[in-house]
Amino acid sequence: MRFRIYRFDPEKDRKPYFADYELEPHPSDRKVLDALTRLKEQDDSIAYRRSCREGVCGSDAMNINGRNMLACITPLEGLREPVTLAPLPGFPVIRDLVVDMTQFFAHYHATQPWLQNGEPPPERERLQSPAEREKLDGLYECILCACCSGFCPSYWWNPDKFLGPAALLQAERFVADSRDRAGAERLEALDDVYKLYRCRTIMNCTEVCPKGLSPARAIERIKLALLRRSA
Amino acid sequence: MRIFSGQQAFVLQRLSALVLLAFTAAAALRLGFGAPVSLEQWQAWAAQPAAAALLLLLAAALLVHAWVGTRDVVLDYVHPLLLRLSILSLVGVALALLGAWTAFVLVTHAL
Amino acid sequence: MNPDRPVFLDLARIRFPVGAVASIGHRISGVLLALVLPFAVWFLQLSLRSDSISIETGGFFRLAALLLAWAGAHHLFAGVRHLLMDVGIGASLPAARASAYAVLIAAAAVGLAAFFL
Repeated sequence: MRFRIYRFDPEKDRKPYFADYELEPHPSDRKVLDALTRLKEQDDSIAYRRSCREGVCGSDAMNINGRNMLACITPLEGLREPVTLAPLPGFPVIRDLVVDMTQFFAHYHATQPWLQNGEPPPERERLQSPAEREKLDGLYECILCACCSGFCPSYWWNPDKFLGPAALLQAERFVADSRDRAGAERLEALDDVYKLYRCRTIMNCTEVCPKGLSPARAIERIKLALLRRSA
Repeated sequence: MRIFSGQQAFVLQRLSALVLLAFTAAAALRLGFGAPVSLEQWQAWAAQPAAAALLLLLAAALLVHAWVGTRDVVLDYVHPLLLRLSILSLVGVALALLGAWTAFVLVTHAL
Repeated sequence: MNPDRPVFLDLARIRFPVGAVASIGHRISGVLLALVLPFAVWFLQLSLRSDSISIETGGFFRLAALLLAWAGAHHLFAGVRHLLMDVGIGASLPAARASAYAVLIAAAAVGLAAFFL
């Protein structure tokens, strides 16, 4: 199987380049991550992040044949050769397939992703009805892999000012949480021409989310909530 | 600069879009399914004050829509602050001039 | 401390979904229409002040008509798609993809019609 991998070593290369590799098929090679592991046996210098190898940690998000995916759950079968591996688009490349996630996480932290409730804590839990809990479905499952933000053209053009689909989805996760009491402040903080309104509903985010979430829908909910507040 | 906060721009873009959509649909129906319109008929219709007012509304919606749209494009691609402000100002002035010109044409025709 | 790190943004190597194609078409058509605005106002003035108007049908004008018709149609159809998605209609992925295809095809059809009529 033929691979084309984005290579960049800041200590050796002036510019990034694509290098070609050949891998003998092995029955145990099922996913792209398996292939990468064996390719690393060929060329030890290939750098990439990985951890859980089961699609829940989000470490190995990368651009595979033009789409952002998690390497550990992307089957090798059916991939057009040469399988092209590139880092997440729009993110500063530290080395090879490893990107700088600082800005991405800064946006996440800016949304204050923790429950804010100043009321005296109850005896045990802050209760939530099943219907209220359902509102978090499609929002809490985000693994912050950055496949979405790395595929959003608006995030590419303004990564420093646009919060991006991932952070916005997390913002909505807390706005939608019935136990949270800071909804108004959260929405107020999002009402900004750059932070939120760079979103043009291109929907690239929803197309690539490996967990099947829809940041586009979360963002629409935020926009509607803002409209309702001002109406 | 709080000229058109994010939400204001968003709402204005949608509202102006609806106005433009209504006009386009009405025009398409009239021109597509009604009898062909001659130049004289068009000029006579546009001379009525009500029609001129409607056309002014259309022009206003068009300019607002064009402003928000162009602003979006500039905000996306132009990053240096001074350059961005300059381009937005130029576009704003250009659209305002277009609006004034349109109003002049419509009003002088109706009078 | 910001070392000069490269960024992977080779648009030719990125496989865009159909929605993204419809979206960039929406932007391009919008810019085109905005650029044509002065001519539209000038045409309005002509239409209200002339005694007669003749329409050119040469090759260049047919191409211009195709481009403008496509731009107007694509911007309109894509715009309607956005308005519907704003209120939740067609916001699911399969529906969004289908409507994107519909927009692209319908706009192309209008453009071609303008060229041949």
